[in-house]
Amino acid sequence: MSDMKDMIVDVVERMLKENVDKDLVDTVEQGRWAPEVWNMFKENEITAVAITEDNGGAGGDLEDLLNIVRLTGKYAAPIPFTETTLANYLLELTNLQVKDDLATYMLSADQAYTLVNGKLTGEASQIPWARHSKYLVTLAESVEGIHLVEVDLKQAEITPGTNLASEPRDTVKFNNLDISQVSVVLSPDHIRTMKTLETAFQLARMTGAIDKINDLTVQYTKEREQFGRPIHRFQLVQQHIVQLAGETVVALAAFNNVTDALLAHCQNNETAYARIRFEEIIQTIATTSHQVHAAIGTTHEHSLHQYTRRLWSWRDEGTNISYWTDFVATQLLENSGDSLWAYLTETKIPTTIEGVIFNG
Amino acid sequence: MFHLPTVQFTEEQEQFRLEVRAFLQQELANGTFTPKCDSWLSGDDPKFSKLIGKKGWIGITWPKKYGGQERSTIDRYILTEEFLAIGAPVAAHWFADRQTGPLLLRYGTEEQRQFFLPQIVNGECYFGIGLSEPNSGSDLASVSTRAEKVEGGWIVNGQKIWTSNAHLCHYMVTLVRTSPFDGKNKHAGMSQLIVDLQADGITVVPIKFLTGEHHYNEVFFENVFVPDNMVVGAIGNGWAQGLAELAFERSGPERILSTFPLLDELIQKLKYQNNREGLKQASKVVARLWSLRNLSIGVAQLLESGEGDDVSIPAALVKALGTKFEQSIPEITRLLVQTYPTLDAQRKIDRLMAESILHAPGFTIRGGTSEVLYGVVAKGVVAQ
Repeated sequence: MSDMKDMIVDVVERMLKENVDKDLVDTVEQGRWAPEVWNMFKENEITAVAITEDNGGAGGDLEDLLNIVRLTGKYAAPIPFTETTLANYLLELTNLQVKDDLATYMLSADQAYTLVNGKLTGEASQIPWARHSKYLVTLAESVEGIHLVEVDLKQAEITPGTNLASEPRDTVKFNNLDISQVSVVLSPDHIRTMKTLETAFQLARMTGAIDKINDLTVQYTKEREQFGRPIHRFQLVQQHIVQLAGETVVALAAFNNVTDALLAHCQNNETAYARIRFEEIIQTIATTSHQVHAAIGTTHEHSLHQYTRRLWSWRDEGTNISYWTDFVATQLLENSGDSLWAYLTETKIPTTIEGVIFNG
Repeated sequence: MFHLPTVQFTEEQEQFRLEVRAFLQQELANGTFTPKCDSWLSGDDPKFSKLIGKKGWIGITWPKKYGGQERSTIDRYILTEEFLAIGAPVAAHWFADRQTGPLLLRYGTEEQRQFFLPQIVNGECYFGIGLSEPNSGSDLASVSTRAEKVEGGWIVNGQKIWTSNAHLCHYMVTLVRTSPFDGKNKHAGMSQLIVDLQADGITVVPIKFLTGEHHYNEVFFENVFVPDNMVVGAIGNGWAQGLAELAFERSGPERILSTFPLLDELIQKLKYQNNREGLKQASKVVARLWSLRNLSIGVAQLLESGEGDDVSIPAALVKALGTKFEQSIPEITRLLVQTYPTLDAQRKIDRLMAESILHAPGFTIRGGTSEVLYGVVAKGVVAQ
């Protein structure tokens, strides 16, 4: 763990608290975003955390970065922070040049672009923030296999789209366009490590949103009075409070265990378990928080939907639960001799993410 | 929200886990025991308790001068997980190891420690916990079993109920009223006494479990004399002392793993059938188990670091969530594989299913009902 963590987390939380309010989050619905918040992050080198100093990074480790991502989820910050930092993290992992501007990524192998003689062709959808980004870091398939490539988005044909929370999810088409950088051919293990990272970033911002929804709901049960007393005094409401608290504590602990595991072992099962478990957490958190808020929570004026709509979107994006349940099933089938207990508690061989550079 | 620490096991701890596992697998192969679900309540086997006592695996965290190993709470956590995962019969010494030892180390006299702890460590001395009474279940502050001061000790009259394994135990730590009930301060005036279950005036009457098995009992006290040196801690401090025990009692691996042998068997069956779709469904259960283990180990780590006072709410939460999970395993299993549950079945999975289904109702009741725990957690969350 980096010594900087508590300090960075405090600074970032203060920035987001002071600068991201409900109205600003609402602006994504008009197709806008928050460049002023982005610039503040950039000036303070928050966008360069966990990139090594040789590559223009600001120091700090993956745990620091994931905790910042968690906070951007907690405030629903309308900036492509997850996208840019993950894109850069992937570039550094594959020994490519890190970019100093807005970037996004695409890691769905089914949508991989075709790479022929250094030129990219094809179409992929649901790419986050593409219309605002300068660079795309994406999987591309050549005759040799799958690579990670970095390409300038200036010449791309971009069709805007949105998710349930009105966040940009665009279709990006290339027709024989020059790429800027290409990695070596990626092994299945490389791709899984990338998907593990993508999932960890998603879990981080989901954790932030879950934490926020829990805060909003507990607060509401203290303020809202019916039958002459605050509603948290009713036992049936208390049951909702406990369900929310339980799922929130599970989410926070799962997230912290995932970051620990990522720092210690690049191939880990923790991310898979957490992502599978988050499916239930999101279901419970969204349903229960809306039930407790009742009618007011279903209005646009209330901020609850800014978090529930994001969770309903994020759970279907990128590497989703099916990938990870299939992954666990495959592992169980391959460990045919061992008991489930041996599988769950197996000692892992330390290979940290930082120690893995895919340079062939 | 409550912050729970993460724990990465050390290499020595991983080695210890494998050592315990190898021992248990060898004993299983030798036919020393038959794996059971809910083995920490229903798997009583004094021979097995003595066997693991010889290994030094009872009271493992206690000071060496009382026969302990001075190992960490996390080592004990690992040991307990291995016992429960394989379904080993640890019920006989369970409460003495989990509760009585820590209670005496915290509040007991030197004489009590020197007398009881080495016997417990050897797997020869078993304790029951005397809390509930016929009219005091969840509302424990209303206990009415009373102790009156006499020359050299106390005279106890009253009745305890639901005392697990009292028929096998040598002693019972009993919560009694040492001064009359005070409606304004209902937690005052209670004390903990160690009662010798062989003493004159004690009657232990079995209450048959719904399967017909004998696990719990009624214990009657009729003018039972308890000498002064068997008072635990301070007279009148029984409620506070009991609360301190609860965090240890509530959040251990036994609140997650009571039906683990069934889950393990389910996975074996699905693997054998090469049932990928079934395993994908089961992976959700594995993920739930992993996420609960994080919480339970986090609470164990908090207890180790001594922040015991802040830990009672997360501990209550772990029990409420964990027991619901254990309860769900048979319900999920029967949807993924065909089972015919009976207690004397030939097929292992049928037997484990029967044990799980029949014991499951108790999981969310014993050691504090879920309703009481929900109240504790909700109030804690709102107060934050």
